[in-house]
Amino acid sequence: MKTIRFFLALWAAKIIKLLLRLLRRPGTYFSGKVAIKICPDFLGRIGRPETIIGVTGTNGKTTVCNMITDLLEAGGMDVLSNRLGSNINAGVATALADGATITGRCRKNIGVLEIDERSARLIYPYIKPDYLVITNLFRDSMRRNAHSEYIASILTEYIPKTSKLILNADDLISSAVAPENERVYFGMERLESETEAPENIVRDIGVCPDCGRTLKYDFRRYHHIGKVSCECGFASKKPDYLALSADFDKMRLTVSEKGEEREYTLISDTVFNIYNELAAITLLRELGKTPEEVEAALGKIEVVKSRFWEEEKCGKTVTMLMSKGLNAVACSRSFDYIRREPGKKIVALMYDDIFDEKETSENIAWIYDVDYEFLSTDDIAQVIPCGVRALDGKLRLLIAGVPEEKISPVSCEAEVADAIRYAEADRIFLLYDVYRHNIAVKVRAEVMKKIEEASSC
Amino acid sequence: MLIEILYPELCNLFGDTGNMRYLKSCLPEAEFAETSLHDEPKFISAAPSLIYMGPMTERAQERVAQRLMQYKERIGELIESGCCFLFTGNAMEVLGEGIETADGTIEGLGILKLRAKRDMKNRHNSLFLGKFGDMDIVGFHSRFSTAESEEPGFASVVRGSGINKGAQSEGVRKNNLFGTNLLGPLLVINPDFTQFLLGLMGSDSKIAFEETSRAAFKARLAEFKDEKRHLD
Repeated sequence: MKTIRFFLALWAAKIIKLLLRLLRRPGTYFSGKVAIKICPDFLGRIGRPETIIGVTGTNGKTTVCNMITDLLEAGGMDVLSNRLGSNINAGVATALADGATITGRCRKNIGVLEIDERSARLIYPYIKPDYLVITNLFRDSMRRNAHSEYIASILTEYIPKTSKLILNADDLISSAVAPENERVYFGMERLESETEAPENIVRDIGVCPDCGRTLKYDFRRYHHIGKVSCECGFASKKPDYLALSADFDKMRLTVSEKGEEREYTLISDTVFNIYNELAAITLLRELGKTPEEVEAALGKIEVVKSRFWEEEKCGKTVTMLMSKGLNAVACSRSFDYIRREPGKKIVALMYDDIFDEKETSENIAWIYDVDYEFLSTDDIAQVIPCGVRALDGKLRLLIAGVPEEKISPVSCEAEVADAIRYAEADRIFLLYDVYRHNIAVKVRAEVMKKIEEASSC
Repeated sequence: MLIEILYPELCNLFGDTGNMRYLKSCLPEAEFAETSLHDEPKFISAAPSLIYMGPMTERAQERVAQRLMQYKERIGELIESGCCFLFTGNAMEVLGEGIETADGTIEGLGILKLRAKRDMKNRHNSLFLGKFGDMDIVGFHSRFSTAESEEPGFASVVRGSGINKGAQSEGVRKNNLFGTNLLGPLLVINPDFTQFLLGLMGSDSKIAFEETSRAAFKARLAEFKDEKRHLD
């Protein structure tokens, strides 16, 4: 039932959004925050799309959410989403208020909502996704998320029993969430290009959940992702949608769907993004889209490039890679990517927490969960830890086996471009935390300028 | 020199594995034995120079307490004989009398006069500045539990929280057993304490990467002492 309080909240949200738009401010969650302040159960009263798709998980949820929204839009659907907003309850409220008429009726039939794992208790009592994709669960910020077992328990407690789950069979933690819910699994066979994974520091599940024996992997892709079996009979789930092979030359992905083979356009050549694409394909197929419809839509989209940028200048390639700081797995994935790239490489690390450096002192424990050891190879010519924690970064690199002469700590981003020994490498990687994007863009501009000056090309 | 790491497949949260990687750099000749949950610990038949256990999930804590119960007399003997122990994060709670949870009490080994209380609805995060003798100690707290202890503390509180919010001391010390709620790379970020521990373990080695370690420590200590910066 819609109350006067609800209407006041809705109209306030709409006016605030209009004002923010006029002021050219992003307004990703503020209008929703005000709406919830005025009407605490705003999410329960606002009109919702007939079909709601939720996307949650530690890593990849923004990419999957964008992919699903793009695919549905490419198929001609008008989609409500919070892709431009935040993924907490206020961000969801902002998206729903934007998509509602002034009487609170939802104008769209389908919604795709990215939902923060920790916001489960604030969102799921009101918003009950018909389909909920869980990309994966890894350890994340220890302050907020504690550990992945804790997040799995929160999701199991709050996910509505009516939601059909789309789960990663290769992830033992997320695939076990909410066991009573209807579920479909996606997974990936070992690809031809994949060798046995190196030892990652982080493995969030080490023992069999049934008997407690040390888990044996038939194949481990990275961290705890892979296929396991235990002598007690416990094993990874069997995928309903299984990627059989990926042809990176022709950019084709072969998927076995409940026993039938299908081919799709492969939209990214990184394994992490193949999982993201598989999650999106599985969701669309479960929504009732035909393989032809999915393929037609896949041909029209690309992975959002905001987290990855690359340009060549005077024979040197500069790459920007954004990762969530405080998230050891995301940063380790970036290091692993660099490790696999050819050429002589220089790496600048701009991961300091932007909030902590001003008000407190960062808890740097997380960097000991990151695979800095991947940077100790001969083809890494120089590593530049940057920021107030540069000495902590240097110490971490020394422990990882990086020779001291290769480590050049600098106290702020403005010093990065000058610290780079350009002659020693042909690839320069600028790694940075999500909240340092604008700063990293400035560093990139400086680096490009220096390359141009040095080469006079 | 033997260093035994207990249950690394479970007790590996929050960057604590950095402690043993750093110790390997400090003691390149030492043997580091990793004991899995279903293996018999080396300390049954040997006296390691250090027995280390890191933080774990709450579910794992129950498993570990059950597993260690059969060895409680031997652990008690080793503590009495002066063997070094370092238990970080919630690992030390299993040595206490019990851990109160919403679902009942998990029985501890009863070696320490310490009772922990777990509250999964409230996570405590803060930074810690304390004193161990005349040494400064810095560290990180991130936990669901607090404790009451009758044992002597590991460090006195200068800023931040101790074993519980109002306590004047952090962790416990019993002979050469150091139990602390501090987590993460405790040995990496506390060069003075690590040098002291190496001595207790019978080594005259200097800490690894000493210059960088001390410079990083000095920078952190200045921040932790800065009253304008909050520690919680």
